[in-house]
Amino acid sequence: MNAVGAVWEGLTRGWGVDHPAVLALLLLALLPLMATAFRRRGIASAGLVPDDPLSRLVGGGLRVAGVVAIVALVLGLAGLHRREQSVEREGTGAHLVLLLDRSSSMDNSFADAAPTGDQESKSAAAKRLLAQFVARRPHDRIAVAAFSTSPMPVLPLTDHHEVVDAAIDAIDRPGLAFTDVGRGLALAFSYFAEDTDEASRAVLLVSDGAALIDRRVQDMLRDAAARTPVHLYWLFLRSRGAPGIYDVPTSGNDTAQANPERHLHLFLQSLGVPYRAFEATSPQAVAQAITEIDRQETRPIRYVERIPRRDLVRPAFLVAAIAVALLMAAKLAERQLRPAGRGGTKAEGAPATDLRRAA
Amino acid sequence: MSKAITGKLAAGEGSSRYGNQRRDWRFWLLLAALLGIVAALFAPRIVQTGNVRDALLVVDVTGSMNVRDALIQNAPATRLVAAKRGARDILAGLPCGSRLGLAIFTERRSFLLFEPAEVCANFAAIAGSIDDLDWRMAWEGDSYVARGVHSGLAMAAGLKADLIFMTDGHEAPPLPGGALPDFEGKPGEVAGLLIGIGGADPSPIPKFDQDGRETGFYAEEDVPQENRMGPPPEDAASRAGWNPRNAPWGGEEATGTEHLSSLREEHLRALAAQTGLGFVALGDGRGLLAAVEADTRPRPVEMRVDTAAIPAALALFCLALLFGLGATTSRRPERLPTR
Repeated sequence: MNAVGAVWEGLTRGWGVDHPAVLALLLLALLPLMATAFRRRGIASAGLVPDDPLSRLVGGGLRVAGVVAIVALVLGLAGLHRREQSVEREGTGAHLVLLLDRSSSMDNSFADAAPTGDQESKSAAAKRLLAQFVARRPHDRIAVAAFSTSPMPVLPLTDHHEVVDAAIDAIDRPGLAFTDVGRGLALAFSYFAEDTDEASRAVLLVSDGAALIDRRVQDMLRDAAARTPVHLYWLFLRSRGAPGIYDVPTSGNDTAQANPERHLHLFLQSLGVPYRAFEATSPQAVAQAITEIDRQETRPIRYVERIPRRDLVRPAFLVAAIAVALLMAAKLAERQLRPAGRGGTKAEGAPATDLRRAA
Repeated sequence: MSKAITGKLAAGEGSSRYGNQRRDWRFWLLLAALLGIVAALFAPRIVQTGNVRDALLVVDVTGSMNVRDALIQNAPATRLVAAKRGARDILAGLPCGSRLGLAIFTERRSFLLFEPAEVCANFAAIAGSIDDLDWRMAWEGDSYVARGVHSGLAMAAGLKADLIFMTDGHEAPPLPGGALPDFEGKPGEVAGLLIGIGGADPSPIPKFDQDGRETGFYAEEDVPQENRMGPPPEDAASRAGWNPRNAPWGGEEATGTEHLSSLREEHLRALAAQTGLGFVALGDGRGLLAAVEADTRPRPVEMRVDTAAIPAALALFCLALLFGLGATTSRRPERLPTR
């Protein structure tokens, strides 16, 4: 029973039909074995006929043609096709988690005010440039996560970039209140927990600010970073007047509460994973940073290329047409058996080959 | 054996003159079959309009969705799990070419996760995204369902999609005086439906600590039993301890059953009527999909339909008739040649 299942599995893995119920009609293919398309005439004695292997062969061939015609027609009607196949190829790319800040400050412009006129909000700039970034990296498997007051998984790792674009399109909607970057990062790391592929893994954090990371969450992140080696990129969309991540404040004021961005940077550096921060103060700087990340993440990756399904309905009908045409040719060459002396002399006229085909 | 021989003879010893043959029924059936197949080979693909849907699916992830009074195959499950199951059924049931976006609802607004994307090509990603929905994604404890539906409608209008809103209708805190907030949009402008989840009997709502561990159920005093924003209700003067300045809602703590949750079907129906949406209570998958198809607007798309099947089926019929009649009619030869 298992062997039958395995054979069936092997047969149906690459091939399929749209309407399996139609395949019941395959039973009709038995009919040509029981009947013929030719007139049947009785003769007085079978001994009259000399044994002719070629005739027998052609006769059998015509039966098979009938079977083939019906089988091909039924398969065509059932919608025979070669399934969508996936082929693994080598390319350059990465498994990438986009971790996007959806806090309401992202809705402001780089000047930290409501965008006016030709100004672009930070989220709109991030959306535009991330969409370009994703479009340039066709082989990446991309997941999307968002964080604000709470972390939100948006999309699991997928190589369908259409839905990734749809998720990126959603980031310039009004955001929520807070920026819980720590738990957001923990969520981003968790995407790689079940990802056993050996591809390069990267987390791209896009945010315009940071917040204190709870000490327990810090420990959790250190654990996660030790378990799953990832490349970490932080694209910091810095508003005008906001403290930068490289500015060392005057002594005595260098606390995580006062400078969360700088301390997040220090924390990420201490994680022990390859990490780069990009501080962008304008859409142009964001574009430059994204180009740089694009350049960095070019390790080989095994990606799956899809070969679309191929319909085999017409080829099936073509086979049926050839089989029926053979039967037709034989039928056209069919001769009636007539009593001797009525229809002229026997066995002259039609060439010998035709006679055999007609059999 | 004898049949083969008769066939051979019939053909081999036939008449010499070519055009002088009567064609028998077998010939005509065979010709019809051949013509049918040739027609199928050259059959045109005609353009037909099919209907797909564009929808924005909003799932309520507030605390009351953790109540275990929904049923999945007669086993109790939380409302959120049932909602995810329903969402997956909708995703699987929509025809290819339809687009589905996903948003979550807490507090008083719907929060978009991704814009509508084609359901067949992106099935795995969208299904995974639905699976990942969790009450921990909620950013506030409040649950102003009516406002959430209103904001969902505005969002769906911007996305040119219909709204599918899955909720239990439990307002927390309760609406002042039980009246629906005003709807600013035009009822019916965005089509769609509300899907009510949960049982009819009030059930306790699980409570979680800050690490997400379940610690029991909400008690009567844990949740606001009355909304004391805005002006007090008309009948406040008749309450015990009422004082127009110091105790406009009466002198006693409000009591009630707001700490228990059930499917607020009446509230959702009223909300659906206010906004021009449909309403269905989540049952088994089939009724759900029918309701979604009834309440969302079809978007006509051009589909190319192959017409080859019709002549091919005719050809198959002719062949089956040809061989079937041959097999079932008398197996005796038709006529012995006689002088």
